[in-house]
Amino acid sequence: MINRLLPLLFLLLPAPTLATVFIPADFAELVTGCRAIVHGRVVDVRAQTTGDRRSIETLVTLTAVEHFKGNLGSTVTFKVPGGQIGRYRRVLVGAPVFERGDEVIVFLNATSPSIPHLYGLSQGVFRIARDTGGRDVVTPPPVTAQGIGAERVVRGDPARRPLAVDEFGRKVRDILERVR
Amino acid sequence: MTHTVRQHAVVTLVLLLALPEPARAYLKFSVQTLRAGTVTLQWDASRPVRYFVTNRGVPGVSASDFQAAVARAFDTWEAVPTASIRFQFAGFTNAEPFEDDDLSVLGFQNKPELERVLGATGFVVDVLTGEIVEADIFFNSAFDWSTASAGQPGRFDVQSTALHEIGHFLGLGHSALGETEMRGGGRRVLASGAVMFPISFGPGNTADRELQPDDIAGVSDLYPEAGFRNATGAARGQVTRGGRPLFGAHVVAFNPATRALIGGFSANTNGEFQIAGLTPGPHVIRVEPLDDADVDSFFSGEDAVDVDFQVTYFERLFIAPRGGVGGRFVVEVRPK
Repeated sequence: MINRLLPLLFLLLPAPTLATVFIPADFAELVTGCRAIVHGRVVDVRAQTTGDRRSIETLVTLTAVEHFKGNLGSTVTFKVPGGQIGRYRRVLVGAPVFERGDEVIVFLNATSPSIPHLYGLSQGVFRIARDTGGRDVVTPPPVTAQGIGAERVVRGDPARRPLAVDEFGRKVRDILERVR
Repeated sequence: MTHTVRQHAVVTLVLLLALPEPARAYLKFSVQTLRAGTVTLQWDASRPVRYFVTNRGVPGVSASDFQAAVARAFDTWEAVPTASIRFQFAGFTNAEPFEDDDLSVLGFQNKPELERVLGATGFVVDVLTGEIVEADIFFNSAFDWSTASAGQPGRFDVQSTALHEIGHFLGLGHSALGETEMRGGGRRVLASGAVMFPISFGPGNTADRELQPDDIAGVSDLYPEAGFRNATGAARGQVTRGGRPLFGAHVVAFNPATRALIGGFSANTNGEFQIAGLTPGPHVIRVEPLDDADVDSFFSGEDAVDVDFQVTYFERLFIAPRGGVGGRFVVEVRPK
């Protein structure tokens, strides 16, 4: 009984309010808005001072496994805000943190000739894990609309499962085909 | 204390910043230090926290308009009766946010590499002691802004964004209390239960100038006023799947009497959570995955967040005590 009644209680959220920080991108917007989409494994993470020497940023280097969009070569380096030099660490709240060995798909943008950056900060990172069946999967998967009408995004929806990396790639290519 | 980025390079210590603090609610930030172990990232509340504002406006918002709007947002956090934290406007400055200059600065900046980001907060932390050296907030000048009292169509509200960012400035992470929908290829917020929910509703809206119970519980837990701990209770427990600890679940306590929602996370490798600031009495406990979120905006990425389970309710009501922590309980989630 409690399980049937309680979901209704949780819909009693206060009136809509304006939250902040991110303007969420639809997955198709992410795909079309970035310059490159790279599946790779992090091989190096290195903090450095920014060009104006006034702050800290981190260069993340991937060995590319596959390019879903664009081609930045077999080794791809991009930058993320923050990092640690000496006893001081600069943290940008919400900025992804990478470690050697992480397997990721990153959506990158760049204003030539600068070093690429993540498109939409944390929105431009999809992490890869190995599921119990030994498949490499994207988790959590991108949130995408199933139809053309309004659809409430339901947490815990059994249909939203970790997505195999090749299936993720197919979704990207489908979107790119549609806009071509 | 003066330091520059160049000076930072003199000493190299291998220390990690661990975000968020394990086993606590609202995602409070913490830092792993060399001298003091893991400490909560927070200001010294015994004196006002000083902040500067850049002396530069943007079209539609003068520097003084901006300063007044952020001051109202600081005042809102300062006015929480169960929290004890004070701020002091230290003046206008030519300094910029995100310069390592020992000054906490708020201001507009053009950051093309942060597209789709309205604003952001950054800290410089001394990882030897866990002390906050400075905290900065930038507002992305690529967007149109307003400080109009009733908001302005097509423009984002400075005060609302400031209220969220100052929550980070205080040491709070993101809340997952919110619902969204997909519409017309985009994603839209339907409702949020916390100012610290990370997604923007859109321009023109000013409703987020008011804190919600989750925000109030968070700041009160970080900077408790005398009596807060004795007047409220905490829920403590563990989330498991198949009997094994589950990392990264969103745990929500709902009070049917007050309709307050206060959220936390199973934020350590034992799958443990603790949600403080609950009004004494019965609560419904709901556990849900962050399967619709950018988990990197909640967790720092060193542990894999498990999102492959269904929403699960604790089978009994949790009774929050008046003061102290209720009996520990375990929620075994249902796999998808």
